[in-house]
Amino acid sequence: MDDKRGRFEAQVLPHLDAACRFARWLSHSSADADDVVQEAILRAFRSFDSLRGSDAKSWLLTIVRNCQATAHRRQQRRAWVPLPEEHDAEDGHAMIASTPDPETASIGAEQEGTLTRLMAALPEDHREVLVLREIEDMDYRQIANITNVPIGTVMSRLARARAGLKSQWLKDVEGELRDVR
Amino acid sequence: MTCADRLTTQAYFDGEVDAVAAAGIERHVAQCADCRALLQDLAQTHAAIRSMARQGAPPALRARILRSLDEAAAAETSRSSPLPWRTRPFWMGAFGGAAGAAMAATLAWYTLSPAIGNPLLDDLMTAHVRSLMPSHLIDVASTDQHTVKPWFAGHADVSPVVVDFATQGYPLVGGRADYFAHQRSAVVVYQHGPHVINVFSWAGNRRQVPADTTRNGYRMMFWQVGDLDYCAVSDTGWDELRGLVRLLQRSSALDNRG
Repeated sequence: MDDKRGRFEAQVLPHLDAACRFARWLSHSSADADDVVQEAILRAFRSFDSLRGSDAKSWLLTIVRNCQATAHRRQQRRAWVPLPEEHDAEDGHAMIASTPDPETASIGAEQEGTLTRLMAALPEDHREVLVLREIEDMDYRQIANITNVPIGTVMSRLARARAGLKSQWLKDVEGELRDVR
Repeated sequence: MTCADRLTTQAYFDGEVDAVAAAGIERHVAQCADCRALLQDLAQTHAAIRSMARQGAPPALRARILRSLDEAAAAETSRSSPLPWRTRPFWMGAFGGAAGAAMAATLAWYTLSPAIGNPLLDDLMTAHVRSLMPSHLIDVASTDQHTVKPWFAGHADVSPVVVDFATQGYPLVGGRADYFAHQRSAVVVYQHGPHVINVFSWAGNRRQVPADTTRNGYRMMFWQVGDLDYCAVSDTGWDELRGLVRLLQRSSALDNRG
């Protein structure tokens, strides 16, 4: 009776963090993203029987993306607000100020803010492939499935996203240098 | 001037080519300054993005989602699956309608109640989730057991074992008093990696503690020491949770001897 719920919790919920991250990169605000994730999880639960194979992460992220598209059509707001992590304060992890792990220590908070802003400024279809590849470690085929485009398109979007990010980054850093002088 | 093989070089960087192709690309890169620079850029971008903090699901959202899943699951069960005894005509025949239904209901009560009807489990889960809300986690923030333990004397009805297990990967974060099980119970808060572990303790009624269980995605592990009941609650894995419980049990044993 509770079997479906249990299997869902074991197979799909481990990817809740990834779903949240992905939704936040796609969404206009973190509150919107939260609603999208909740909607996506419920939709995933209802159609859980249609999950074939073991790639629950791709499957869930596809649903998140569809829910996001629906929500976006609903409101058609243009401006992208760069994630003001309003949930940080509610987050038990954040409340215990832990020492940053070595990976996070390598980039300063300021640079991280810049990077977040630049990624947010990328065209949506470039940003999503970049996030899926660099943050969620999805391979080309998985990204192609999630974003519903051929692999060749994934490759060229990824290349353009990375090149765009780099040139914006250089422009930004040069701008700062000019300001200093 | 840009090299026409940039996409192939990118695919190589992303680990999307087989060994034979990889060898060919490496030969190409050795001669192509453009692709060498590209590989360097790709590595830099990758490193920069990977070093950004990886946000997960905030606990409040996780709790909200689990609640809505509960509702969805309940709705589905009541709609689709018939009551258990309807699928067993044998019982109906053997006991007759009313008697059979009463029996099944009783049986269901006894088998399901530890899992879904136990208010203690609900209280613990709620207390754990509430503790993750802003400024609810700790009343006394200290990694020093000699600060936390005496604090409980004035604020809780029980005095649990408090030890900092930082060297074993479970640093002590602080303590808190929570009202449940009709008393001021003591909560010792530990951290394990990014996870918060709440260790609840209260004066038990010498009955058996509930079996270990998962509630809305949070794992709960119960044990008893003397007349104290303990429960550790966290979203960490069973093994990690058991690690802390073992350490606590060992410390209690040492305490009692000393």
